[in-house]
Amino acid sequence: MTHEQMNPTIGRILENIEKVMIGKRNVAELSLVALLSGGHVLLEDVPGVGKTMMVRALAKSVNAKFRRIQFTPDLLPSDVTGVSIYNPKELEFQFRPGPIMGNIILADEINRTSPKTQSALLEGMEESSVTVDGVTHRLEKPFFVMATQNPIEYEGTYPLPEAQLDRFLLKMKMGYPDVNEEMEVLSRAQRTTPIEELESVIDLNDLRELQENIKLVTVDDTIKRYIVDIVNGTRRNSSVYLGASPRGSIALMKAAQAYAYMYKRDYVLPDDVQFLASYVLAHRIILKSEAKFEGISAEDVLERVLARVPIPVQRLVK
Amino acid sequence: MNGGKLQSKILNMWLYICGFFLLWEWLRPLKQLTDTANLTVFIIFLVISLVLAYFKVNIFVRNGIKLLYVLYTINLLYFEDSFFKLKWLFYMTDSVIENMRVVFQGNWMSLTDDFRSILFFILLGLMAYLLRYWLISRRQIFVFFFMTLLYITVLDTFTPYEAQFAIVRTIVIGFALMGILTFYRILDREKLQMPAAFARKWLIPLVGMVCVSIIIGYAAPKASPIWPDPVPYIKSYSQDTREDGNGTGGIRKVGYGIDDSTLGGPFMPDDTVVYETEADHRQYWKVETKDVYTGKGWVTAEENGEKIAFAQGEEFPISNYTDEEMTVDERTATIRPFLQYPHIIYPLGLKFVENDIGHSYEVDLSLEKISGADLGNLSGIGQYTVEYESPRFSVRGMMSTVDQNHPLLTEDFLTRYTQLPDELPERVRDLALELTQDKENWYEKAKAIEDYFGRVDFQYDQKDVAVPGRNEDYVDQFLFETQKGYCDNFSTSMVVMLRSIGIPARWVKGYTEGDFRGMTDSGKRLYVITNNNAHSWVEVFFPEVGWVPFEPTKGFSNNAQFTFDLDSEQPSQQDDVLEAPEAPEVDKPEETDAPEQSAQTSFSWKDTFDKTTQFLRTNWLWFAAAIAVLTLTTYILYKKRLKWLPYFLIFRYRRRKKDEDFPEAYIALLTQLNRYGLKRNQEQTLREYARYVDHYFSSGEMSALTSTYEQYLYKGKLQEGSWENTKELWENLIKKTIA
Repeated sequence: MTHEQMNPTIGRILENIEKVMIGKRNVAELSLVALLSGGHVLLEDVPGVGKTMMVRALAKSVNAKFRRIQFTPDLLPSDVTGVSIYNPKELEFQFRPGPIMGNIILADEINRTSPKTQSALLEGMEESSVTVDGVTHRLEKPFFVMATQNPIEYEGTYPLPEAQLDRFLLKMKMGYPDVNEEMEVLSRAQRTTPIEELESVIDLNDLRELQENIKLVTVDDTIKRYIVDIVNGTRRNSSVYLGASPRGSIALMKAAQAYAYMYKRDYVLPDDVQFLASYVLAHRIILKSEAKFEGISAEDVLERVLARVPIPVQRLVK
Repeated sequence: MNGGKLQSKILNMWLYICGFFLLWEWLRPLKQLTDTANLTVFIIFLVISLVLAYFKVNIFVRNGIKLLYVLYTINLLYFEDSFFKLKWLFYMTDSVIENMRVVFQGNWMSLTDDFRSILFFILLGLMAYLLRYWLISRRQIFVFFFMTLLYITVLDTFTPYEAQFAIVRTIVIGFALMGILTFYRILDREKLQMPAAFARKWLIPLVGMVCVSIIIGYAAPKASPIWPDPVPYIKSYSQDTREDGNGTGGIRKVGYGIDDSTLGGPFMPDDTVVYETEADHRQYWKVETKDVYTGKGWVTAEENGEKIAFAQGEEFPISNYTDEEMTVDERTATIRPFLQYPHIIYPLGLKFVENDIGHSYEVDLSLEKISGADLGNLSGIGQYTVEYESPRFSVRGMMSTVDQNHPLLTEDFLTRYTQLPDELPERVRDLALELTQDKENWYEKAKAIEDYFGRVDFQYDQKDVAVPGRNEDYVDQFLFETQKGYCDNFSTSMVVMLRSIGIPARWVKGYTEGDFRGMTDSGKRLYVITNNNAHSWVEVFFPEVGWVPFEPTKGFSNNAQFTFDLDSEQPSQQDDVLEAPEAPEVDKPEETDAPEQSAQTSFSWKDTFDKTTQFLRTNWLWFAAAIAVLTLTTYILYKKRLKWLPYFLIFRYRRRKKDEDFPEAYIALLTQLNRYGLKRNQEQTLREYARYVDHYFSSGEMSALTSTYEQYLYKGKLQEGSWENTKELWENLIKKTIA
């Protein structure tokens, strides 16, 4: 895909992010895909690989309000959503918005907090609104959550239930930089805190326009069929206990639209779908325990499914 | 490791041994079925070939040894000189050259034995090579195993070869081979070494399985065949109508032949023209008569009976009539044979046979069969003319005979013409007695039996006709069980019934008068006789008259002439017989009675089917040739498609102008690239594939073309002029695939 030309605006955003993030273009692209298609991202990785940097750079590039929530076991829902406080002067309750009232939210170590608090965030993600003391507060658009969870520690964690994992458009791993990249990281760290120097490329209105444009990207019936075949493939696979839901199909389509747009196309290719399938679907399928014991991962399953679904090379005959 | 190698060698040896036995099964029947007298030398050759192959002897040494063996054997079998004198080698070379000439002439029968043996050695060598290829290289034997089974079962069915044990042997060997080979294939596929224990683990259940399947197969109840014996059916299909059945090596010749020893079974219509006759009158044509009934069919008492030659103008030496005063009509007829039979057909009362080339004839007194003398110089009998006195049989004369007390009815004569097999079931005779109990004389008795076959119980049928089983009598089966059949059933039954009550009778073979085709200029009636007109009927001996023909077959009418020189109380039926009007004659009389006949004018599947089969039968050679040529052409075209298909594609799409043709052209290109060897996996996207293709051809054409196609396919739109713009790219790519 790298041979293809990029949409110039998006290209500039990515370049901007790359000023502070060395390597990790893939993660940046995927995050942008999620942002542009109105979805959210779940990052599964160890601390210290630059997750925060990544999100902050992204927020800065699009001139969005960035908020960070560090989840801990004792965090309460109101710490996320905000709280109404009685103002004796005014003789009434006043709403003090919580950290969720931003555009781009980093929800760090989401699996460390109680399900109750998790669901406050997840409600916001799904409904684009939060309810505090019976009053519903709309969240400002765009609203983009990048949640992280640490796969290493299991003690005292509350893994996200499968139904809630479904709320994330993409799940990905950041991974360590390679040797050269890491050396470059060190060199840059010697000089400044690079994030401070970053300037925004577009503003929120531009971002909203981009989001609207993406909805216009053509998804031909051949592609829809291809997506459905893949999702069906996950449902039929012998290692899978529960395959991806129709919500998964929708997510895959939306992500593909954003990805196509990113590459300056107004139509989706099977290549887009293939590339995204694993990121979009892997966290939406539940493997059988036998498969887990055999060391088969959801990504493996998707790889097999993709190898079995033929690429459409002729138009559907109706 | 070493153990594994040894194991592998031993297994290979087993493969060779089993393979040898499988090949041996092909050779076994040869001794019985062909004139191959000395099979052992071939078997030894096979052993040598396989042993040499097993030890992977150098190819020159291997072929040298084989050649030496072949030469030695040829010398031993066919040449008197000592092997080391070498002079015989020249003779052999001469013989080979001579035989090659014969081969090119297509004169297969003249090949000499030594050459045939050499050819057979070569064939065996090839077979041994193939076997090695299958067993060691391909590790697959099923096809050969299956062919072997087919070969043996076919031989078992159609020849005297009894293959009971051969089948069991083949199954055992085949299963064992397939089992070992499967083992090998698994080893190859999984890239495993072969520990000895593993081989044993495989072999023990294999042996067990083979044993169990054999035991089950042996012990299981076997359904009796659901067809009647197919052999007569196949025979009736045969085109081979020649009568000289003395083929080499026990292969039975089939068709209208001298062999009537096993009657029964269905036959197919065949309207190959055999004779054309010009005659004054409708009459049957005789070929021969038979006198000994075996219970299954007819043979003749004297295999090589006395023959009397008679030349042109000499009177035919046999007279079948004792009635000196019999009224006769003098007649002549001309017969033109279409097939080269050594015998001729002749009418009742034959006097003279004449032909233009002054050819003479001889008659077999026992069969009353006339053949051309010294036929060696002639390709057959040409047109000939018969002069004959067509008899009018005196009914009074016939009716005057009531018993065997007559000077002409000598004991020898009676023994010969009232012969019946001892096993003939008693109920045949009982039936004959019952039918004739209130008839006084032989004529009435014969008529009664003849008429009996006219009853509705009896059906004329050519297809659904039984063959008597081992312990069944042909006549008994027809009379009491099937009651379905054709002329042979009817005539044989009548002869047997007459004989059972002491009336001398014999079985006559020949042809009916044929199909009337109009009048000739000389005022004669022109008939065409086809194989469908082959017929058999009955002759009964009346001492006062002679041999009188009777016609028991349903739907046929006797056209012998009778004079009613007595105040006849005979029913009008006699007149029918006498005059024999334009009855629906010959061949498919029963069909005319069949229900479907009501729709005579409309389309009939059966007719169409018959006609089609008939057409195919007469033209099968052309069809076979056409199919062969077609197959070959198709095969070559298919094989060479990489060479011509690109040109065709370019030619086809170059003329297209519309953008709508672009997708089709693109798909054609994909197919062509695939054919060329650039395979696209099903999960490979067009873009990836295009890059792969471009990388292969070091160009960017496919990607450019693909991006246009992607717009059509995934966006549903084509820009105007897409095809015009990309045509060149497309053509370039197609051209690149020209092999």
